[in-house]
Amino acid sequence: MNSNSLVSMKNISKSFGSIEALKNANFDLNKGEIVGLAGDNGAGKSTLVKILAGVFPYDSGEIFLEGNEVKLSSPKEAIQLGIESIYQDLALFEDMDLSRNIFIGREPVKNKLGGLIKNLDKETMNRETLNALKMIKINITDTSQLVHTLSGGQRQSVAVARAVYFRAKIVIMDEPTAALSVKEVQKILDLALELKAEGIGVIIITHNLHHMFSVADRITVLQNGTLAGNKKIKDTNIKEIENLIIGGHEED
Amino acid sequence: MNIFLARMRSRPETGSFLGFIMFFIIFSIFGDHFFTLGNQTSLFTLTAELGIICIGVGFLMISGEFDLSVGSVYALGGIVFMMLAPHMHSLLALLLVMMIAAAIGWFNGYITTKHLIPSFIVTLSMMLIIRGLIYMITSGRITSHKGDLFVLTFFSAKMSELPGFLSDFRPSHFWFIGLLILFHYILFNTRYGNHVFATGINKPAAVRMGLNTDWIKTKNFMICSCFAALSGIIAVSRFRMGSPNIGIGLELEVIAAAVIGGISLYGGTGAIIGILFSAFLICMIRNGLLLMGAPPYWYSAFVGVIVLISTIVNIKIQPRKTKY
Repeated sequence: MNSNSLVSMKNISKSFGSIEALKNANFDLNKGEIVGLAGDNGAGKSTLVKILAGVFPYDSGEIFLEGNEVKLSSPKEAIQLGIESIYQDLALFEDMDLSRNIFIGREPVKNKLGGLIKNLDKETMNRETLNALKMIKINITDTSQLVHTLSGGQRQSVAVARAVYFRAKIVIMDEPTAALSVKEVQKILDLALELKAEGIGVIIITHNLHHMFSVADRITVLQNGTLAGNKKIKDTNIKEIENLIIGGHEED
Repeated sequence: MNIFLARMRSRPETGSFLGFIMFFIIFSIFGDHFFTLGNQTSLFTLTAELGIICIGVGFLMISGEFDLSVGSVYALGGIVFMMLAPHMHSLLALLLVMMIAAAIGWFNGYITTKHLIPSFIVTLSMMLIIRGLIYMITSGRITSHKGDLFVLTFFSAKMSELPGFLSDFRPSHFWFIGLLILFHYILFNTRYGNHVFATGINKPAAVRMGLNTDWIKTKNFMICSCFAALSGIIAVSRFRMGSPNIGIGLELEVIAAAVIGGISLYGGTGAIIGILFSAFLICMIRNGLLLMGAPPYWYSAFVGVIVLISTIVNIKIQPRKTKY
């Protein structure tokens, strides 16, 4: 295993009842690398990243994080290990304000009554929310806005800010560009490049291969729950990836 | 002024406050002896007993579940307390009852969250099971209190040694207000409160953000049962006896009060302070109708109408959600 390896998932299998979503799938991600995860609907892309995010337990296989084997048994554990996700549905809380959304599960607190009551440190939350939004160059000044009052692009930004703010090692983007305007898509793709420049590993799932080709270093294709191909961008083209997605065999 | 109105509109407890004011004025004008200190404090005694259960049910409803077993747990709490009290210090009996209640709440939570059975079914069964148990342990007879008076004095004794108007109050009034403020504070200002809201607003997202939503819900079931049992002990402290039928139908009154108080049946929205007005409103309707000379049968029809109106009002006056 090279010293640059960030994640290595080996022989991962996962079934839902009688459906085998993943069959001995392998996946690798290096530091400062953007890997596109491609595959048809039901190929196992989402299952694979949800296992990495700790959402689904896996039936068998091994996961190495920076060379050390880890057991990912809950989302909390994955988050603590620096694996952040930006979900397709954004996983935001509509009736909560921005700062509560960004800090959910990781709220800064001031202990009261000897730790019996964990008071939200709202001052820090508001200040750091502005910083988090600044990090991704979003100009929102009112952190007390409720998320359901924001536009689609702004909501996306909140989800991104939440993933980026906590110094992630790995950022998983599951269909981040679906339902976005052209301008907003460009922002997300630029962000992936910025994360990469900071040495963060990025996994990007999208149906739009043009988006994937514009940022990814490598594309991993899944078909029927197994690895169908692993291609460096500079050695491949859209046509070849499309064939891998549909046919599952490499063309010469 | 506009900003003030907009703020008022966005708060979940506004509706119950307005309803409370309206009925208070009507009953004060048309009800004989309604607006007297004695009547108001005895009303508040009932309010406190209903409201304490409501605090627990409110937390639970905000996290997206509800509990139909509170009426039975209320009765069990009171009766088991009186059965234990002759054999030990009443404070110890209180603690034991709280542990039993917590276990019931834990069981409700465990079955609901781990076996994915709707809390409606789980707690409906629990309501029937516990009521049956109560009939069994009491043989259907009235239980009376024969132990020491320590807990009773701390909960329900009239504070008659206090000077002036204070002598009409009972400690339970202050327990209720204290718990109300404490839990309102917890809901809006602590990490736990934030997690309760998050669980109710979007449970799948809360799970993915690392919250243990099953345990959060289970804790709320436990709070709920403990408060129901506590309220039961407060009630029997007042009468020093209790029939096995006490608390039948109470669960619906509690849910009515929670809904009028602005807590959504769908979870995710609500405030605890609204319970102060809605619980008082419900107790006031029974009392006010009686003092206005209306037949007592009107009461439940009246409460039904108010639940409907307040739900509609709560949906209408709150700013519409733009999109989901």
